Amino acid sequence: MLSTRVIACLDVHNGRTVKGINFINLKDAGDPVEQAKKYSTIGADEICFLDISATHEKRRAMFNVISKTAESCFVPLTVGGGVNNINDFRDLLNSGADKVSINSSAVYNPNLIKESSDKFGNQCVVLAIDATENINMPSGYEITTHGGRKKTNLDALKWAKQGEKNGAGEILLTSMGSDGTKKGYNLKLTRLIAENVSIPVIASGGAGSPKDMVEVVLKAGASAVLAASIFHYGIHTIHSVKKHMFNNGIFVRECDQNE
Amino acid sequence: MNLAIIDYGSGNLRSVENAFKNSVKNNNLNFTIQVTNKLDLISKADHFVLPGVGSFPDCKKGLDDIEGLVELLRTEVINKRKKFLGICVGMQLMVDFSLEKKRTKGFCWLEGHFKKIKTKGLDYLGRKYKIPHMGWNNLQIDYNNHPVLENISENEQFYFVHSYALDCRQTNQIIANTNYSHKIPAIIGKENYIGVQFHPEKSGNSGQKFIYNWLKWSP
Repeated sequence: MLSTRVIACLDVHNGRTVKGINFINLKDAGDPVEQAKKYSTIGADEICFLDISATHEKRRAMFNVISKTAESCFVPLTVGGGVNNINDFRDLLNSGADKVSINSSAVYNPNLIKESSDKFGNQCVVLAIDATENINMPSGYEITTHGGRKKTNLDALKWAKQGEKNGAGEILLTSMGSDGTKKGYNLKLTRLIAENVSIPVIASGGAGSPKDMVEVVLKAGASAVLAASIFHYGIHTIHSVKKHMFNNGIFVRECDQNE
Repeated sequence: MNLAIIDYGSGNLRSVENAFKNSVKNNNLNFTIQVTNKLDLISKADHFVLPGVGSFPDCKKGLDDIEGLVELLRTEVINKRKKFLGICVGMQLMVDFSLEKKRTKGFCWLEGHFKKIKTKGLDYLGRKYKIPHMGWNNLQIDYNNHPVLENISENEQFYFVHSYALDCRQTNQIIANTNYSHKIPAIIGKENYIGVQFHPEKSGNSGQKFIYNWLKWSP
């Protein structure tokens, strides 16, 4: 039976893992290569790097991080952040990423989804959607970019369907209202998207406890759950999350019981 | 021993190379690994790995663009019985044809064809079955005691990502299935050549075990 995936996400800035709220007060939190390796050893089903480096020059550090991670981390690796065109896409894959997530650039260049999935296959194209509540939108949610700061006037559901049609292999769905709050995923938004597209939907934004992960799978139909801070701060481990999911009837991949 | 990972422009060569190198190193195996598209180097190798991500027609075109490669693989694998592993689209290429995008001919080493996965109903949690079949799934082993499955149990999981599945009549070429709404062939093969629908290079410890088994397998 297919397991529901638990994905560990790391924010990477100039080649180092960082922690901070809303990209402010960033604190160095170690070496992403070591952390990815550790997460994969203790049972993360996938690793996700989000590159929040500001300049193109500093992005070079990311390629090095990816290629080192790929040498010793044998679970799928998704990389996102600052992917503007097909060349960025190719560079990340060549460095050793298995999937690339595209966000703002897909909004400003909708052709990028089609171009990249035609070229590299839809299995490696992850459409990252940041949505925020807006009652004036047909679905009630609007797409935002630049970490939620810019509005686009695009309807979230329409955009998700369009992304699927253009060749995205899965959707990484973040509710901007919930992100960083640790109060739980946005169930309404997740259900809306998951029920209306045929590709897998990864729930992101708001995970504060294993209970939240169970809820978004059982009540909103997420195919996978992604979390960052709850793992980094050691509040919960991959194992405690998986155990809680399993105890609530969700099939998960076994992970090391000792960790 | 000399292992050639065939380079025909498919995306995830690095991952495959890393995973095989890791297995060779950790198990002290005596293997040289080369990633190559040179026919002379390929013909000198003892074992072959054919990776593959993307679409079937694109991968087939990548192979066809290297003149003489497909014929050489047939000679080495079918006539000279050298060991072969096809991964994902590399596995799909081993059969008669695929219907992805357009009907495209494969190597015809095994019987059958690939068609879009059709799912029925909802999963055990009432969720829609999503396509691609993406994530970690179990094997249902049909061929007991196959050397490539040594120490691998049906409780272990492997990483799958695909939208097309094998449809074949000759079920004796199926070594293991997986289940996603219905049975889907996960490992197929005959004698010295096998293909896996999942990605052993991305399947953690279970994948490493499989790679080790395949490397030391002497059909």
